[in-house]
Amino acid sequence: MSATPAPLLEVDLEVERRQVTVKAGFGIQGGERLAIFGTSGAGKTTILESIAGLTRLSRGNVRIDGKLVAGIVRGEAALEPRARQVALVRQPTTLFPHLTVEQNVAYGVRSSTARSRVAELLDRLELTTLARARGAALSGGQRQRVALGRALASQFRVLLLDEPLSAVDVAAREALRVLAIETTVGRDAAGILVTHDLAEAQAFGGRLGIIDNGRLLQLGTAHKVVSAPLSRRVAELVGYGGFVPDPSAPDRCFAIHPDRVVIGALPERGVVLTGTILSTRPFGPRYECTVAEPSKERFTIHVDQPLDAGAKCILTALDPPVVTP
Amino acid sequence: MRTTAPAGNLAVSGVVPGFPAAGRLAARGSTALALLGAIAIWLALLGPFAVLIQHLSFHSIRAALGPPGSLDPLWVSLGASAIALGAMVLLGTPLAYLLARGRLPLARIVELGILLPLMMPPLVIGLLLIFLIGPEGTLGNLLANIHLTGVNTFFALIAAEFYEAAPFYVLGAHAAFASVDPRIEQDATLLGDRPLQAFARITLPLAAPGLATGLATAWARAMGAFGAVVIIAYYPRGLPNQIFIAFQEFGLSGALPFALLLVVAALPLPVLAYLWSARTRSRVAGNEAP
Repeated sequence: MSATPAPLLEVDLEVERRQVTVKAGFGIQGGERLAIFGTSGAGKTTILESIAGLTRLSRGNVRIDGKLVAGIVRGEAALEPRARQVALVRQPTTLFPHLTVEQNVAYGVRSSTARSRVAELLDRLELTTLARARGAALSGGQRQRVALGRALASQFRVLLLDEPLSAVDVAAREALRVLAIETTVGRDAAGILVTHDLAEAQAFGGRLGIIDNGRLLQLGTAHKVVSAPLSRRVAELVGYGGFVPDPSAPDRCFAIHPDRVVIGALPERGVVLTGTILSTRPFGPRYECTVAEPSKERFTIHVDQPLDAGAKCILTALDPPVVTP
Repeated sequence: MRTTAPAGNLAVSGVVPGFPAAGRLAARGSTALALLGAIAIWLALLGPFAVLIQHLSFHSIRAALGPPGSLDPLWVSLGASAIALGAMVLLGTPLAYLLARGRLPLARIVELGILLPLMMPPLVIGLLLIFLIGPEGTLGNLLANIHLTGVNTFFALIAAEFYEAAPFYVLGAHAAFASVDPRIEQDATLLGDRPLQAFARITLPLAAPGLATGLATAWARAMGAFGAVVIIAYYPRGLPNQIFIAFQEFGLSGALPFALLLVVAALPLPVLAYLWSARTRSRVAGNEAP
């Protein structure tokens, strides 16, 4: 049996901020991606800046390819940011305003062979026609494309993305996400995306980490974390809107996700609940109803047909995860 | 009277929603007043230049500036100001950068030290410089060891101009560096730049318009320095001193040709710097094609 190779990126850090102390520990193999999802102020950006060397660690260390890049370890000197081979796309986007789009993208390119990649990147980022424009002439989405291109053109071992596509049209996000993933995997590099958009985090692939109030609460495959949250807080963060007591165990409750509920009693598929419809409103192409359960717990469900307020209903929560209240 | 219109009708009716006619009238009135004020200030500031041109004749210029050696004060002023400016750039640029990035201990006190020469009357600076770099001063004694005298020498002229003009450059440079987002510098280092490379490729080009303006202001101030100069460096005679002496000896008609010379020598650099700064800022702001 072959041993698991050492992670490309090893993180075990603690950073004391005014509002919150950020603690995180994880490793990422070459070619692997990790999405860190959490609310604003949870400490996502602090983790990225610590890896990049823009924020000083209070404790712990960060290693890239086994080399110490941040933290204090006796007998080892940490690498300065420029030598870490870390590419960072920041939020809000920072471009070099006196340089053209093309010059921005080519900024970190040091070898002549890599220069041909700049033209290819401009093409894939749909920036060829804007190659000679400066940052001030660009829209928010175009600026984010340039920042992404600048990062992808550099010789990175670790790609750090801080809400990189938040201003990009939804229709164009997929292509840019694929470009970032392809480049990361193609270079056998490590990629970290931080976002407060769960769908964006899941689409990045690889593993998903949930951060809240400075603590990495859960880390695992995106499907596992969303379908089996370990705590009520993680469940809340990934979209579970109701917590119904488990009659067989008073110290536990079922987490109800609005999209994982069907009308009717299907005991073989999950937990059958009864409730009263409190209100109904349109929700995209469907309807969102607020339901009150006999225990007075309220939760929302998404259904195809509007349900009348005051109506009694029987519902099935499909395989709801069990969490401690 | 209709004061608002549906959004779809705006282009046709020309009525701005929520902007009553009385308000529009007041807005036009205040715009006209501001325009008048701007013209009045502009004329008032340009007035002295107009008077200078009006009261000068070719004959008086030739009489004052024609004799051999009469342009010596110009060369003295240009030389001393250029050296003072070089010293300001050399010493003031790192100081301004460190201040702008908050990397200096006791930054407020350092700033106060820079402001002090600006707040003191130039005559007082001149008097105090005698104590500092004059033959009786502590620093003056040290300077004597390298054969520099701090009174009535070319060195004294440079020192006086430096004290009068340096705060203008340092404060201008401080503002210029502070206007550059430090996160952009960080981005450059993450993309492989050494700190000096990032300074040269990013910080300097972005701060350049502000630096040029600061430099131009300091240049004009150094060329025209008089208060401290007349106390500590009466000789060698620079242009401001020459104007003062000519005025005392020959009155207005004798002084005006040298005044013209000073304006002609001191003004082009600030004007060029202003035009270049404005053009560069406009390019970065995306108002002009690259």
